[in-house]
Amino acid sequence: MSFDWSVVWQHRDALIAGTATTILLTVATMAIAVPCGIIVAILRLYGWAPMRALATAYVEFFRNLPLILVVFWAFYVPPILTGLGLSPLATGLAALALNVTAYNAETFRAGINSIRRGQVEAAMVLGMNRVQALRRVVVPQAVRRILPVLASTWVSLFKDTSLVSVIAVTELAYVSMQIRAQSFRVLEMLTAMAAIYWLLGYPQAKLVDWIQRRFAITE
Amino acid sequence: MDFDFAVITDHWRFLASGVGITLLLSVVSGLTSLVAGLVVALLRLYGPRPLRVAVVLYIDSMRAIPVLVVLVWSFFALPILTGLTMPPFVAALVGLTVHLAAYAAEIVRAGVESVRPGQTRAALALGMSRAQIVRRIILPQAIVRMLPAFGSLLSITIKDTAIASVIAVPELMRQSETLAGQSFQPIEVYTFAMLVYFFILFPVTRGVDIFYQRVAHLGRS
Repeated sequence: MSFDWSVVWQHRDALIAGTATTILLTVATMAIAVPCGIIVAILRLYGWAPMRALATAYVEFFRNLPLILVVFWAFYVPPILTGLGLSPLATGLAALALNVTAYNAETFRAGINSIRRGQVEAAMVLGMNRVQALRRVVVPQAVRRILPVLASTWVSLFKDTSLVSVIAVTELAYVSMQIRAQSFRVLEMLTAMAAIYWLLGYPQAKLVDWIQRRFAITE
Repeated sequence: MDFDFAVITDHWRFLASGVGITLLLSVVSGLTSLVAGLVVALLRLYGPRPLRVAVVLYIDSMRAIPVLVVLVWSFFALPILTGLTMPPFVAALVGLTVHLAAYAAEIVRAGVESVRPGQTRAALALGMSRAQIVRRIILPQAIVRMLPAFGSLLSITIKDTAIASVIAVPELMRQSETLAGQSFQPIEVYTFAMLVYFFILFPVTRGVDIFYQRVAHLGRS
């Protein structure tokens, strides 16, 4: 058995570009999914009944689907229905954002719900209105509970970006598997891909642990 | 725009075999990762120090590497290294187990550590052995507390089996891809697949929630 690791170095430019796309996808998805998640959570908590039902249905639907299927669906179905074709990158981003928004909405809702009702009631007795009570009493406490969950969603998202490789988005997994197919250096390229993910993901996982310890709630 | 769902009814056997493989792979990899996770957690909690360090490294590595990468690596790269070729189903089972066991281990560890140390000390004072304490005091409470997390791990397992389609395991996702490609009707096929996955996963997540609410009082202390 002979291995030729130089193939990894030869394709460093493509791998770096792929890694950049992976990071870009992660950041862009979160940038969309946090505000959208807040909106969906607010609709679910305070919206009028039909909106609430719709928001709940959206969250439950996307939390109960494999992401890879959402990616395929987003790639094939909307272009036929609407006649509009998005680039693979935009399609992948949309699928990831739809998925992560549902998870984030649930995180925000659970975070706000975890603050006991009595606190809002007490704030209102002290003369605050609903918005003040939310902003000054509920949100500052809820943030401490939401942040650790958002951090672990972040790491999951970072890993899940690899799934958009199935629609030829040129991120790290796709690029590595392309080089594998062209060079026939299967073991070298797949190991390099795993190593790059590990190098990027390991510190993130450790950071999540730190955030979780830092914000741990003792009641 | 007109839809023709005859493609689903005409090929229902093809799709049903995919659902069967999805369920089989979910159940088997769920069980193997549960057992492997328990062993890993026990090594992490009670093993000798060098082994503990290695186990922590393994768990954190699996949290850092995408399951797609683990699956592709075990199907394409592992045979080169070992000289053993595995059929796609077995490779998927190995990859999923290696990945999910790390998560199962973290759940077990968190459950065990959630039982306050005072209880262990009290049991020691009453003359129980370490093994008795684990069996009679810690596990009965810890197992109930682990239930919600295991429930979500089960639904993650079912969702992750869809990723096995990239190594050609003929489960529902793969069968849908094939059928969509051959029939040129991706809308009908993928939408149908979405519904099937939803109707498998939703009862699982809901069922676990309801079951936990029934037994939650057993885990309180």
